[in-house]
Amino acid sequence: MLFRYLLLLLILLPIKSFALIEVDITRGNLSPLPIAVSPLSIDEKSRENFKKILKKENIGSEIAAVVENNLKQSGLFNPLNKDAFLQKPDIANLKPRFEDWNLIKAQALITGKVTLVDEKLRVEFRLWDVLAGKEMVALAFTTIPSNWRRVGHIISDKVYERLTGEKGYFDTRIIYVAEEGPKTKRIKKLAIMDQDGFNNKFLTLGNELVLTPRFNPTNQMVTYLSYFKNLPRVYLLDIETGMQEVVGDFAGMTFAPRFSPDGKKIIMSFAKDGNSDIYTMDLENRIVERITNHPSIDTSPSFSPDGKYICFNSDRSGYQQIYVMSSNGKNVKRISFGKGLYGTPVWSPRGDLIAFTKLHKGKFYIGVMRTDGTGERLLTENFYQEAPSWSPNGRVLIFYRETKTNSEGEGFSAKLWSIDLTGYNEKLVETETDASDPSWSSLLSN
Amino acid sequence: MNRSIVISSGFHILMVIITAMSLPFLSKKPIDLPPIVSVELIQITDQTSIPFAPKAKKIIEKIKKKEEKLVSEQAPPKIVKKIKPDAVPLPDKKIDKIKKIKDKKQNPEKIDNEVKQVSEFEKDDLFDPNNIAALIDKSKVQSAEAINKTDKITQDQEKNVDFAGLSLSEEDALKAQIFGCWSIPLGLPYDQNLLVRIKLQLKPDGSIIRSEILDHARMNKPGQGFYKVLAESALRAIKLCQPLRVPSAGYERWKNLQLNFDAREMLEG
Amino acid sequence: MNLSKILKNGFLILVASLVLSACATQKKTGQLQGDVYTGTDSVEYLASGVPDRVFFATNQTVLTTASRDTLRKQATWLRKNSKISVVLEGHADERGTREYNLALGERRANSAKDYLMTYGISSDRISVLSYGKERPVDSGSNPLAWSKNRRSVTVKAN
Repeated sequence: MLFRYLLLLLILLPIKSFALIEVDITRGNLSPLPIAVSPLSIDEKSRENFKKILKKENIGSEIAAVVENNLKQSGLFNPLNKDAFLQKPDIANLKPRFEDWNLIKAQALITGKVTLVDEKLRVEFRLWDVLAGKEMVALAFTTIPSNWRRVGHIISDKVYERLTGEKGYFDTRIIYVAEEGPKTKRIKKLAIMDQDGFNNKFLTLGNELVLTPRFNPTNQMVTYLSYFKNLPRVYLLDIETGMQEVVGDFAGMTFAPRFSPDGKKIIMSFAKDGNSDIYTMDLENRIVERITNHPSIDTSPSFSPDGKYICFNSDRSGYQQIYVMSSNGKNVKRISFGKGLYGTPVWSPRGDLIAFTKLHKGKFYIGVMRTDGTGERLLTENFYQEAPSWSPNGRVLIFYRETKTNSEGEGFSAKLWSIDLTGYNEKLVETETDASDPSWSSLLSN
Repeated sequence: MNRSIVISSGFHILMVIITAMSLPFLSKKPIDLPPIVSVELIQITDQTSIPFAPKAKKIIEKIKKKEEKLVSEQAPPKIVKKIKPDAVPLPDKKIDKIKKIKDKKQNPEKIDNEVKQVSEFEKDDLFDPNNIAALIDKSKVQSAEAINKTDKITQDQEKNVDFAGLSLSEEDALKAQIFGCWSIPLGLPYDQNLLVRIKLQLKPDGSIIRSEILDHARMNKPGQGFYKVLAESALRAIKLCQPLRVPSAGYERWKNLQLNFDAREMLEG
Repeated sequence: MNLSKILKNGFLILVASLVLSACATQKKTGQLQGDVYTGTDSVEYLASGVPDRVFFATNQTVLTTASRDTLRKQATWLRKNSKISVVLEGHADERGTREYNLALGERRANSAKDYLMTYGISSDRISVLSYGKERPVDSGSNPLAWSKNRRSVTVKAN
């Protein structure tokens, strides 16, 4: 007995080195990162000049406001209240006093400077890690003054990328269908706006029905369905010139058009004699190629970002389901197997997921699944919603919702909504009019 | 159309007759309730109260529900204390570690066995709440043995536990503190390795002398950009949480600390 | 005591079941048969006694007996008026995705066209157009409204 304890003591005493203690931290808070967006500093002369050109009191504050709004809307950042800021913009820009920013609990800080140089807008900005007291990003841009909003969006993208590791999606536009009027006689126009709702422009007049617009990869052209002269056909529209032309010479309805990832072809459905199949047309040589050949309805095609595969909607199994095939039409494989109807498949720009609309027991869902059909996740449920479109970084989905009408058939509205891939941050996308069929452009700054 | 009303009413009337005939048999007797058994969860005072993250609460409630059904009059000693959110998902590792370190330091087999048995018992409890009934007999035996050995072994046993690392309540305190400081970047991909290990050298008051990111080669690896973001968020958490909630005594054992930040659980959702 | 109780309960049950059976019969009155609209609210006429449209069940493009009856009348009228060409406009209800509904409308209109052709109407005289869910005739959000919208309408082209 005693010997045992002596032995124990002998063994224990000399041991002084302690093994490294490891503590597992598996939880944190998923709240948005507190960030301070300081108004960009601007010298009085530049400010006066910009006020004359752009009719804005302080362009430094305006650009910062664009950044602040973008970061807030993403749901990943919490821009702090400016009234609490202790340092003035011009001083903060040189070397911030981190203790001041620490006091208001900011973990990151954006500062910058705006000047008018040779009639051009020049913006410098810096992103600081407040806790480490270090500069994280420092960049400068020069552009024409009227592009000032885009500068705000580009800064937002840089900040987003540095703090989340993913490319941003703020310097983008959204094309959609603006709607008005009674449900039985809707007036629809093509419209385009910045992703934050500004700079809204109508591209058609509303004399004929227009549906399902899509950008080309360079965001200069749009393909869409138009009922011009009561003949539903796929058209091309040049955004700058406004010129429209019919795509191909099909003896029947063409619809559901999209561009191929290289922008050289249009892929669409062609309906004839009760059957809808998928076709492509080369925009240069006008050669038409038939991709599916099946008595079922095949529509809503979507290319994978590498152009090798196409996912589409078909009812060949009896009901609407999602299929994947090679871009030459071979190896057709069904990938949706859950209960309900599946439609509008869209391949993510990251190539990893396919978003879709699902209808089950009278409810509509927006969901995602992996490209082999596994991992189906429903993100949101509603009385009526459909047609998700991906942001260029494959993180956010924009779609549209319609409301139920009352017994008198009144109360109808259609609006754009967006949601994060994780299911967070479901929110309304403000538009001047009712809206549907949204499609997201790629990053403009490329 | 009239035909169908006639047929429908005919069947309904038939049903009425049948029901009317059987109604008397449905006399209102008082329902025989089984005697009410009150079940109480015995709260052991040592239970640390961590501010639970929302997900943790769910897991705890789930397990509490399971245990409610199986708790008997004899609450086994020490079990309840171990029900902690972080303990639930990864108890394997921890207990293995504790066992390992204990193994190094202890020679006398008997003590070893005691400690081992206790941890195994706790382990079972965590993993198989359904087998608590089976374990209750064991507990009786063990508590008896423990009581026997306690006076002789207590001091050494505690020292042994110290060598294993932070006591569970000390660890909880530190974890709870960092949970509050760590803003997990929401943009991370949840199907990748999201483990960041940071080695810290601490002053006695809990402030940091030095921090080192292990696997820092990953910070600049192409395609692993999110790792840098994750590592930076972990560093921010540590800085924000200074001074760290360290134990008041035994500086020598915790002056070097490694924090393993793993975001996977929170993001897998 | 027992008897009056039985009578009271019996009376209540009788009333309840009659009420129920009354509700049941409403389904079968002339608005819907199964899922297909059989009413005349939204129907217009190409000529006296010739309805201009046929209706379909949810997700279906198959013609019902009533639809075939209507189309036979249309065919007869078209044979008598051999100079007239028509456009068959296919529609779908709002409970589906937009592009699929365009295809569904086209298929419905084609079902009607094929049937007309079996009665000797030349395909030169019939063209097909789909509006998907874009032009509902009833803006309500209920099964009856939706059934009125699932249709193929024959429209005079000249």
